[in-house]
Amino acid sequence: MDKGTEEFELTAKKARENQSPQDIIDVIPYGAFIGISAEVLDGNVLYTLSKKKSNIGNPSLPAIHGGVIGGFLELASAIESIYLLDIVAVPKVVDFSIDYLRPGRFKKMYAKCSVLRQGRKLINVSSMAWQDDINKPTATARCNFLVP
Amino acid sequence: MVPDLKLMVFKPAMKLAMERTGHGAALGLKLTRVERGEVEITFPYKEEVIGNPMTRVVHGGVIVSLLDTCCGCAAISVSGFSTVTPTMDLRLDYMQAAEPNKPIYVSAKVYKDTSSVIFCRGLAWQNAVENPIAHCVATFMKLKKK
Repeated sequence: MDKGTEEFELTAKKARENQSPQDIIDVIPYGAFIGISAEVLDGNVLYTLSKKKSNIGNPSLPAIHGGVIGGFLELASAIESIYLLDIVAVPKVVDFSIDYLRPGRFKKMYAKCSVLRQGRKLINVSSMAWQDDINKPTATARCNFLVP
Repeated sequence: MVPDLKLMVFKPAMKLAMERTGHGAALGLKLTRVERGEVEITFPYKEEVIGNPMTRVVHGGVIVSLLDTCCGCAAISVSGFSTVTPTMDLRLDYMQAAEPNKPIYVSAKVYKDTSSVIFCRGLAWQNAVENPIAHCVATFMKLKKK
């Protein structure tokens, strides 16, 4: 195992021990690029996408870029798999599908994920993003990962 | 052939909106081709968007953004500026991992334009278009601007 893999494994292990999924995000540059953070609330991980000008897709509304919402849910799903399951590398995405239900207003966005199945080869994660009201989701997504 | 006047006005406006503002500017993408129903984008490699610190490959979210932008632009190019075209859904298949330190090319094409929905597909590749890293299908609503 090379040094990078060992370091990542250690980061993932520590994150689980300290109940701090944020530690995993900290080593993934894309997380900071779009401004994701994670915290554990009542045993579940809550992901937050901060209000960032560089995430705007439509400047006239203004609304968050649909691709950023996709990236947010895809990264959250990956973190959820690394954090909850005993995975030591960044899982590979096989496919990702997102339904946009409401426009993403220019303010904070939240997300939660649930791992629906972990097989020997595939992990299926469903995720949901919302802003003011958890019962009014902005988008829902599902993601299949290859077990590394 | 009569020049497409609408498209001539539209091209620079779209380039400006996508390359100079918001997430497009942050990513540093370039619109390299805009035709009616067909758009191409180039994304230069950027360290800030690495998704896997071990392989230094860009995060899949970047590919989502690129394909969403490209398909979205293709959708607007057929519907015109008087309508808004929010994404209804987007489905992405990753065929292989992207290589680090290399630009990513993206193309999108509208394959069906109906009165209320625009159907689009997109492709992302690096070395050869025949050997894509990702493929997507996206649908867009056609709404009159308020």
